[in-house]
Amino acid sequence: MSVHTPIKPASEPPAPLVPRGLRLRIDPLLTLAAVGLLVCSVYALNGATGDDVPGHPNYYVYRQIAFGGVGLVLMYGVSRLDYSRLRELKYPLYGFMIFSIVVVWLLGTASKGSKRWIETPLFNLQPSELGKVLLVVSLAGFLVDRLRRPGRDTTVRLVLLALLPAMLVMAEPDLGSALVYLAAVVALLFVAGVPWRHFALLGALGGVAIALTLVALPAAGVDVLKPYQTDRLTSFLHPSDVAGKEGYQQQQSKIAIGSGEKTGRGVAKATQTGLDFLPEHHTDFIYAVVGETFGFAGAALILSLYALLIWRGLHILTQAKNLFGALLAGGLTLTLFFQIFVNVGMTVGIMPITGIPAPLLSYGGSSMLVTFLALGLLQSVHAQARETALTKSRAPVL
Amino acid sequence: MPPQLDDRRPTITPQLARRVALLGGIAFVLFAALFFRLWFLQVLSGDDYVSQAAQNRVRKIRIEAPRGDVVDRNDRTLIKTRQAAVVQILPSELPQAERTLAAQYGSQVSASERRRLAAGDRLDRLDRERRRSGRRITRIQRRERHRLLRASRKAQRVAIPALPADPSVKRLYRRLGRVLNVSPRTIHKRVVQQVAQTPYAAVTVKTDIGLAAFNYLKERQERFPGVEPEIQYLRDYPYKAIGAHLFGTLREISPRELKRKRYRGISQGERIGAGGIEQSYDRYLRGQDGYYRQVVDALGQPCDDPVRCAVRRVKPQQGQQLKLTLDLRLQRAGQAALAGAVPAGAGGGFVAMDPRNGDILGMGSYPSFDANLFAKPISQERYDRLNSDAEGKPLLDRAIAGVYPTGSTFKPITAVAALQSGLVTPSTLVDDPGSFKLGPQTFKNAGDAVNGSIDIVKALEVSSDVFFYKLGYRMYSQKGQVLQTWARRLGLGRKTGVDLPGEFAGLVPDRHWRDGAFNRYEKCRKRRGLGYQSQAALFACGGVDRPYSGGDNVQLAVGQGDLQATPLQMATAYAAVANGGRVVEPHLGAEVEDGQGRLLQRLRFPTRRKVDLSASTRATILRGLRLAASAPDGTSADVFKGVPLEVYGKTGTAERGNGDADQSWYVAYVPNKSRPIVVAVTVEKGGFGAEAAAPAACRILTNWFDLPGSDCSAGSSTTN
Repeated sequence: MSVHTPIKPASEPPAPLVPRGLRLRIDPLLTLAAVGLLVCSVYALNGATGDDVPGHPNYYVYRQIAFGGVGLVLMYGVSRLDYSRLRELKYPLYGFMIFSIVVVWLLGTASKGSKRWIETPLFNLQPSELGKVLLVVSLAGFLVDRLRRPGRDTTVRLVLLALLPAMLVMAEPDLGSALVYLAAVVALLFVAGVPWRHFALLGALGGVAIALTLVALPAAGVDVLKPYQTDRLTSFLHPSDVAGKEGYQQQQSKIAIGSGEKTGRGVAKATQTGLDFLPEHHTDFIYAVVGETFGFAGAALILSLYALLIWRGLHILTQAKNLFGALLAGGLTLTLFFQIFVNVGMTVGIMPITGIPAPLLSYGGSSMLVTFLALGLLQSVHAQARETALTKSRAPVL
Repeated sequence: MPPQLDDRRPTITPQLARRVALLGGIAFVLFAALFFRLWFLQVLSGDDYVSQAAQNRVRKIRIEAPRGDVVDRNDRTLIKTRQAAVVQILPSELPQAERTLAAQYGSQVSASERRRLAAGDRLDRLDRERRRSGRRITRIQRRERHRLLRASRKAQRVAIPALPADPSVKRLYRRLGRVLNVSPRTIHKRVVQQVAQTPYAAVTVKTDIGLAAFNYLKERQERFPGVEPEIQYLRDYPYKAIGAHLFGTLREISPRELKRKRYRGISQGERIGAGGIEQSYDRYLRGQDGYYRQVVDALGQPCDDPVRCAVRRVKPQQGQQLKLTLDLRLQRAGQAALAGAVPAGAGGGFVAMDPRNGDILGMGSYPSFDANLFAKPISQERYDRLNSDAEGKPLLDRAIAGVYPTGSTFKPITAVAALQSGLVTPSTLVDDPGSFKLGPQTFKNAGDAVNGSIDIVKALEVSSDVFFYKLGYRMYSQKGQVLQTWARRLGLGRKTGVDLPGEFAGLVPDRHWRDGAFNRYEKCRKRRGLGYQSQAALFACGGVDRPYSGGDNVQLAVGQGDLQATPLQMATAYAAVANGGRVVEPHLGAEVEDGQGRLLQRLRFPTRRKVDLSASTRATILRGLRLAASAPDGTSADVFKGVPLEVYGKTGTAERGNGDADQSWYVAYVPNKSRPIVVAVTVEKGGFGAEAAAPAACRILTNWFDLPGSDCSAGSSTTN
């Protein structure tokens, strides 16, 4: 960088081991994790979806490769930008997010009883997915502005700002995305250093809200959730009751993963996947496909790649050149982690079925591109931190 | 020293560092949880899930096993099994419109039934109120009563709804109707009725369709969604009405029966024997169903990939063959003889049995029916007809479930009681002046006969009523109800234990029974404020309107009054006298055999009990019975005039009241070294014993002993 520094060091520092111009501007491990997951996703889809679209055995595979390629380019492109500028764009971003979610109401295509997509010629755009990143970015911006005046006021405003889109997507209904939004705001508040008692208060409020939606209001005749959503949320609590559809799905997923044993059954013998016992095997339950086809070896590899991703995310958080970057990295990483844990937990039967896809693994353009967008922002935080570290000897004052 | 690059990193606040560390810790713990869960599922309990996955994809499809055949004692096949094509419709595959119609129809039918019951209740209330008020019935009330009576008798018919507007239903029914030669309307009716009855079970549209239609449907399944042509086994009864009452039928096992121990190992949809020997010997006749394992996908579609989807097949095993004690030739002769003896509009029954061991050689009821009617699903109308009084209730097996007073055929039992209790000896003379006075009542001999001073042998020979009236009255004054005790010991008033369901126990009237029933009558009568022995009380509270008295015992001694017995019970009682006191267990089952007729198991029916019957008692009674069938003034002598058989027989003529013609009875025993036989015949409205029942019994005996030329003419004796 050609920033002119007034203080000249007494002597020139020794030449860096790797010339500056050749230094990677991105975090190699994070990239490795992302590419690894993408490869696994394509490999798993190749085995699982051969019969899904008649006449096009590679329909999902080719499309996923295309999404992944575009995603990688997107990630690299975003990493070249200075994320700090986004702070100024927080209002337009937040507004765009709300707008896009509302547009789904007007133009969206219904699928399986819910309106989540806007059809485009290439793929179906799912604004609630994009909202996951937009919300983190805009809320991080709001937080940075208000952090000089920390207090209950800040917490309340931020939570309300997240609740608005959460309620909107929940009405689509897309319960999974709504939960991700709430997780995102909690993550941001946590990284921003909001006092513990606020979290205790939020936790209490959340508990009351859950009790209301699941028990009190249905008893009073007001149904907030669709019956199938209540079933999903509660069926994992009594897994032996497989009579219902939700319990059935989870049971089939557990059977799929369990029957993979150590090294998997292989594509040809993976009957849970091949004979369609596993529902949504290319999207929400793809982790179960991996578990059945490639066994503990495959499932553990995926989990390790996810762990690597989260570790790098948290590492980048600590390196950020400013609070906005730290908040951004924290929010995005924890949002990803929430999705990973809920999705994998769902397939192994320790979390309820919420319809959250597995990041970078599930088939789906919106999810794939948005995840790469988030990774791009993380890379940008990383790159900016490296730049700052090279050019300044001290941390920026916030 | 210049600062190292690494030292110039931006520092983060300690608070943030703590929180990030905490986040890292949480993430670590949660990832660890996922790892352990994976380990648990895949490594520790992997085997379990592998087998669950296997169960998932493999569906066991039942292959019905044919039931075993049933043959008579000479190996002539009475029941066999044949394959037939059946067309079923799966209600779940039908359009919603049709299912909704069926559900509506079902609720209308039950609503109609509820209305019928409500009308009955209102009728009762109306009557009670009217009785309480004590006022005379008005015209309006009478009209209302009449209306309610009609409404409570029969539920209003619910019209089958019209075909739904859904064109796919119409199209399917029209196509199917053309193939099966059934109108679309009829298909619709069957679907609606059966779905209303059992909502999820497959609806049988037509049984026993031709092979051509079957193949046509099989090859064009995609044009007939929800239609399943299947091969089923049907029972076939080559001799139609012969033995029809004994066989019973088949039906699908009910959910309640599925839980019973008796039917363990049977799965839903399997057919079991219902009624007759099909039910009694179900466990032998029922085969072992086979199955094949078909790999299916989540939608239940058979999978066509040969690698994933190997098919395993286990062959069904036909049920065992059951050999009956029945003799087809005798059975046929018996039913023919009975049919010839029963007057129009009446019924009758006969039993032919080996007195040594209870082997039933023939047993029939008239009117009979073609057993093949029940091989296929029977329509309700036809079933109702078979149960109707107008047709003489053909389904009622009068041999085991027809209970009647027996008339004089009871006299040998009275004789056993009198001789065994020491009331009379074989040489005791009793005066028969032609009538017996008891209080205000006078009991007379039939035909006003006067027999003078006679012993018990003569009394049996000429069927003296007065002789037995006197014995009955004397036993009334004795302690211990000797007559009833002996009647029960010989098998009356209780089930014989025959290997058929639906047997009736009948009634040996005694003090305990009549007094109890009379108490109930009095209570009921007083509660309703009805007059003693009034018509209304008779209808409301039953006919037992007085306590037990000597007259009842007098009546019982000659088989009249409240006595109720089946032909099978009489045959068993006579068999006990004939064989020296062993009360046998009558039975049809003889042997269980394999498909080639090789013996697998001999069925055993040990003597139920031994009664104390002295040799002299037996000899005395047999002498009386022999003379009754052979001496010049024996009651049935003229029937057996030309029959070269040593017949021991007793006629019976039971008064039925209500102005009905008398019930004709005959029970006979013919000793023989290798094939002794006891025959009991009863003919409703047949008149005197010698008139209808004795000739029928005679024909059965001449058939059994192969005397085709013998003439069994109706006798002229007019004794009870």
